[in-house]
Order: sequence, then C-alpha cells, then structure tokens
Amino acid sequence: MNLALWSAKTGLDAQNTQMAVIANNLANANTTGFKSDRAAFQDLLYQNVRQVGGQSTQNTQYSTGLTLGTGVSIVATEKDYTQGSVTQTNGSLDLSVSGRGFLQITMPDGTLAYTRDGSLSLDNQGNVVTASGYPLSPAITIPAGTQSVTIGTDGSVSIVSATNKATTIGQIQLADFVNEEGLQPTGNNLLVESAASGAPQVGTPGTNGLGTVKQGTLETSNVNTVTELVNMIETQRAYEMNSKAITTVDQMLQFLTTNLQ
Amino acid sequence: MDRGLYVAMTGAKQIMQAQAVNNHNIANVNTVGFRADGVSFVSQPIYGVGLPTRVNAVASDSGTDFSSGVLQSTGRQTDVAVNGKGYIAVQGLDGKEAYTRAGDLRINADGSVTTASGLPVLTEQGPLNIPPATQVTIGNDGTVSIVPLGSAPDANTQTDVIKLVNPPQQNLQKGEDGLLRLKDGGKAPTDPSVTITSGVLESSNVNAAQSLINMIELQRQYELQVKSMNSADQNEQTAEQMLSNAT
Repeated sequence: MNLALWSAKTGLDAQNTQMAVIANNLANANTTGFKSDRAAFQDLLYQNVRQVGGQSTQNTQYSTGLTLGTGVSIVATEKDYTQGSVTQTNGSLDLSVSGRGFLQITMPDGTLAYTRDGSLSLDNQGNVVTASGYPLSPAITIPAGTQSVTIGTDGSVSIVSATNKATTIGQIQLADFVNEEGLQPTGNNLLVESAASGAPQVGTPGTNGLGTVKQGTLETSNVNTVTELVNMIETQRAYEMNSKAITTVDQMLQFLTTNLQ
Repeated sequence: MDRGLYVAMTGAKQIMQAQAVNNHNIANVNTVGFRADGVSFVSQPIYGVGLPTRVNAVASDSGTDFSSGVLQSTGRQTDVAVNGKGYIAVQGLDGKEAYTRAGDLRINADGSVTTASGLPVLTEQGPLNIPPATQVTIGNDGTVSIVPLGSAPDANTQTDVIKLVNPPQQNLQKGEDGLLRLKDGGKAPTDPSVTITSGVLESSNVNAAQSLINMIELQRQYELQVKSMNSADQNEQTAEQMLSNAT
C-alpha cells in the first residue's frame, strides 16, 4: 500500500462529497424555506514514522521526527440557519417565519416534524396542510364558506365567516431548538428532532425570543448561488489537484517497474 | 554486494514518503484551519568498517507552516477565525488540552460547545458550556454572551470566555490527531492579545501551486534515484559478463 496514493484518494473522495453537497444546495436554490448545507473537512490521523526527540545515540537526540498525514475526511455536514429573504405572494395561507422557530407538522405516523416552509393550503376537510398534505400542529380547520382568513404576526388565525362574523379559530405555534443545526433533515422540506437538537420549546410567535409569522409572504431558500459557484470552482480545482497527485505517483511507480527489471 | 544500490533505494523510499506528506497537504487544501506540513531531507552517513563513504538521505519533518490561511466570510454566528497569531484551546480525545485554528464551532443539545469534529472548546476553567439561548454572540476576545431562552433581547448575559493562547511556535508540535500540543505536554497560558472574529472561517494555508511544484520536483528526484538503481544494476551485469567471458 502506497500512502502517497491513498492520501490523494481520500482527497478525491472528500471533494466528491463536497461537490454533492454543493449540487444539492444549487438544486434547492428555489426551494421555499430551504437552508443550505456545508461540508466540514478534517485531516485524518497522522502516522508517527520516527518520534521527534528519540535517542539517535546515547547522548544525542533526533532534533526532528517524521509524521506522515493520511489524508482528509468529511466529518459532518452542517446546515446554515441564517434567514432567507422574504417574498410577497399575497396568498392568505402563505406564511414566513421571521426570526427563530419552526412550524410544527403532524406526520402520518403521528410524530411531529418541523419546517420553515410556510406554503400552506387546505385539504378537502378544510384542514390547513403543507404542500405535501401533512396537517399543521396544533390543527387548524377553516370552516366552509369562510370569506377571508387573517393570520396575525403572533400566529392567531381569525376568519370572517359566511355570515360576515369575525371569529378567532386557532393559534399557530412555533417550536425552537437549542441546537437547530442538530435537527435531522428528512426531505420534503421537513426536519425531525434528534438527540443532538434537544427537545422543542414550543411557544407563541413573538414571545420568548421566537420569531413572528407574516401572512402573505414566503421565506426563500438561503442558498447564496454566487458562494456556491465559487465553492464549486474551488472544489473542482482541488479535485483536479488530487487526481494529478495520483497520476504523478502512478508515473513514479511505472518508472520504477519499467527501469528496474 | 553493490552498496550504491542501497543508497539509491533509501533515497527513493524517502522521496516517496515526502510525496505522501505533500499529497496529504493537497488532500487538505479545503480543510478549515489546516496547517501545511513540510518535509526536508537529512543526510545520514553510515559508519562502520572502513570510511563512511555512503550517505543516506532521511526524510524528516521540517515542521508545520504556521502562516495564516485566507479568511472566508460565512455569516454563521458560531464560526470563528483567529486573527493573526494564536490558537483556540480544545480538549483532545485524550482529555488533554490541545490547540487548533479550525473555528467551525457548534452548540450541542446539552449546551456544550464543540468543534465540527466534536472536540469540546475550553475556557480557563474547563469545557465551555452555555445555557439554552436564542442568540449566541462570540466577541473578539472570545467572550461568549447569550440571550437566554425565553428572555427579551435586552437580557444579554455574558457566560464565559473561550481560552485563546499563543505559545511560541517552536514549542508546538502536531500530534497524530492533527491537533497542536506543547512539546513538553503542558498547558499554554491564556494570551489576552489573541483576538478572534465571528462569522468568518480561516481556510487551509496549503499553497496549491507550491504543492504541485513540490510534487513534480519529488517525482523527478524519484526518477533520478531509480536511474541510479538501474545504473548499479547495469554495472553488476557488465562485471558479471566480463568475468564470465574471462573464464
């Protein structure tokens, strides 16, 4: 096994994974409420070939040692939870969360999932559901014949009924996490609680440091396409360099076998 | 036995090891806070019966390159970069204090602050822990202030100070886990002159062009050694031929 070859190989692997993360970010540049990912690189273990300070003779010591690094790995991907920009849609069931907090969604198996995607709509029962059809938690049902729906910044949902009477029919609540980066993304714009995220702290929007909700707007993806494109160039060049390193070591070994036989 | 063959073989082997160090640097060209390793060759005469005519080359660390990497703005609150010289103190897997430049920190569910690889960040007193917070701010001197969960933004409280150190470079040594430690195994004192900036990460300080040139140079040197081995081989062959013709 040639360490020089395998070191470069780990570089290819890591850059390849980084490219997958960038590609996913770019693919989601227009996904409502999407939070961009970032890959975290870390150098792998070092091999101590000769200990620095070892005895070279009884009275003298090696002033330098030799440690060989074994390459790089990706230890984690972390989500960037900075606020995306807000676009005006004027849809009465479009919500954006300004500040911290996630909307709570009831999954088909009864567990809760969390999302920043507030493009809500109604199902055939009048329940407020996400684009995937999962109901909001706590559930909000809009009665038939409703003239208009108003959602306040504190999450209170009020309607003007068929008989022109204004009533409050529900309250949207937000969940916050100590370590939101620890939430596990499951696809469909949903995140679920994990051991790393901590338990959800549920509250009324605008209280206890939670953000406020804004009707008629949606939070866009926070992917910065310029950053991603620059990262892509950097990743591509790093990949090429590692590939060049493999070619070089290959040529060295080839030279050895052709010249010594 | 042709001893020249062995001198050339040692040279080739050591150059391959130097190439491994170089490739490790190239592999880490995108690793946050990475510090490039250098390699140099030391000549080592072989003493024994007769004169020390043979001198082996031995690859050896020329130390770590401590120059700063490029700063990249990320906007993430818990990303920090050390300005100029200095290090962030973390707890290594062996439980001892170690130093790093990689400042992509994260806050875990239990309130502990760790690096991306999960090593606890240290304060003067021990691992840094922060209470549940809605907002975390890391100041220039490493002061961590928070807005506690359930409080108004004006309830900003200071919790602890990240330990920042700046021991002399010659006392630092890279361990097998890639972290820097004091050569004598001790702890460096807190240095108040070290400052950090949040929302910024320091990139790897590997010079890509330099590494590629090194790679080519090492390749050609390797070929030179192999050529020498080849020549030694040819010498032996010629001698053998002449002797077999003579008989």
